[in-house]
Amino acid sequence: MELTVVIPSFGLDALLRTCLASLATSLQVAGIDDVRVVVADNGSTNPYRVEHLGGGRVELLRFDQRTSFARACNMAARSAPARRYLFLNNDVLLHPQAIADVVGTMDAVRNAGICGARLVFPDDRIQHCGVRMDDGPLGPYHEFAGQPTARVSRAIRDFPAVTGAVLLIDGQLFDELGGFDEIYPFGYEDLDLCLRAGQKGARITCAQAIDSLHFESMSNRDPGRHDLSRQQFWQRWKGRYTRVGSWQPP
Amino acid sequence: MSASLDLSLIVHTRNRREMLHPLLRSTAFIGERIIVDMASDDGSAELCEEAGCRVVRIPAETFVDELRNRYLPLATRGWTLLLDSDEYLAADAEGLIGALIAAAGDRIDAYGIPRFNYIGADRLPAPGWYPDHQIRLFRTGAIAFQKGHHQRPVVLSGDERLALVDPSDGLHIHHQNYRDLKEFIARQLDYALTDDYAGVRDLRLYLAEAYEAMERSLGDPERSDLDAALAIVMAWDRVVRGVIHWEASGRTTDLARAFSLPLVVEQGPAFAALEQRVRDFENSTSWRVTAPLRRLSAWFRSIRQR
Repeated sequence: MELTVVIPSFGLDALLRTCLASLATSLQVAGIDDVRVVVADNGSTNPYRVEHLGGGRVELLRFDQRTSFARACNMAARSAPARRYLFLNNDVLLHPQAIADVVGTMDAVRNAGICGARLVFPDDRIQHCGVRMDDGPLGPYHEFAGQPTARVSRAIRDFPAVTGAVLLIDGQLFDELGGFDEIYPFGYEDLDLCLRAGQKGARITCAQAIDSLHFESMSNRDPGRHDLSRQQFWQRWKGRYTRVGSWQPP
Repeated sequence: MSASLDLSLIVHTRNRREMLHPLLRSTAFIGERIIVDMASDDGSAELCEEAGCRVVRIPAETFVDELRNRYLPLATRGWTLLLDSDEYLAADAEGLIGALIAAAGDRIDAYGIPRFNYIGADRLPAPGWYPDHQIRLFRTGAIAFQKGHHQRPVVLSGDERLALVDPSDGLHIHHQNYRDLKEFIARQLDYALTDDYAGVRDLRLYLAEAYEAMERSLGDPERSDLDAALAIVMAWDRVVRGVIHWEASGRTTDLARAFSLPLVVEQGPAFAALEQRVRDFENSTSWRVTAPLRRLSAWFRSIRQR
């Protein structure tokens, strides 16, 4: 299999359906046919049914008990081994050319192991175009977050990490890393994966030509939702990464 | 496959090859899987053997529940999981079952597992269809089935050693009951025609259950149209069973008595509203006034005169 797309999801059926429709269009535009799409139903109160998700090539992996993003993604990826995995959040609506942009960027950057996507909020402000690391209390942050996308450079550049909202990774690299580390209950598992990939010599990059829409945190808006994961992340990584990047959020 | 789970799976099947794929896939972690095949001729048995199951071939039988008792002793592990051929488990079932077995200690012999029921693409959320706990995970030898279709099994050590799994965030059985309503009706009729009708039972009890089946659905604000359709079919099912039972018991009960309306009306606003509706119907020129309505109207008049 050339590509497996993994979408962990809890509830929000209409949003997931729209996400899948945008994915189907984007895959078609990219000319990718050899693909499996696995939705990890992470304990939705009303279990998803393929027929209500547009049918077609969508496969469901149901969890009766809500589990971590990392475990849901790992089990879904394991169920459909592929040359590359694309992890996608259910609140991302892909631009029709987004997959072609991400795959094209991955192919163009030598030794790239992971590639992210440029994401904007509905008002065209940057949600994500790469993650930088601050060695102070700020820690990891989204570069240019909140800036109008028109003002932010579209040059392809390396990053220490990218968001897991749209994350393309080489399948062999993912397997060698053992997937996402399941010690993270919610959040930071994507950054951890990137940092570990970087330790293995893989380059982390991000597609910049195309903006896709990311609503962000639609399934869980609890302000403390990342606290436990953040603690885990600090324990593992504080003082162990190099500060990279010049732009700091205001 | 899980070496750590002390668990056997037993499934009874007959000609459900296509339905068996999700079941076989989702139970691959169970070390001992026993399929009791009732003379399938669609390759069900061969499919299960290819999946590594032990297949026991037996002649076709009508009463599967009672039949289960005969094959429960085949399980050699400490705990047994029973599934039907149109059921399957979620991807995290192995861990959740392991946790239930570990939590049983010396207090629990059997678990009632909540079940999601589906017709086609739709889940049935209405009361009666969910959580629909099924006694399917138990210490080997701890339960016995009763005669008939879909009768609740008996926990031999007593119900105090039965625990119901919390449906809010835990293990479920997923039950792809029927493709559509037509299949649902056909299956209900088959159950009704082949069920056990011992002794004598007043048809009025069946009619009362028919009304209850309707009321359970219609009284639920969360109900969907599909729930209402199922309630209508289940009400019809009770009536059909009542007539079958009446014949099976020698036509000894008085059918005419069953025509009395099995209504209990509380005095108060609901009573007044019902009375008004009856009066409106009676005075209407666009409705055909039936004999039962005339009787109900007369009954209201007699109540008022007391």
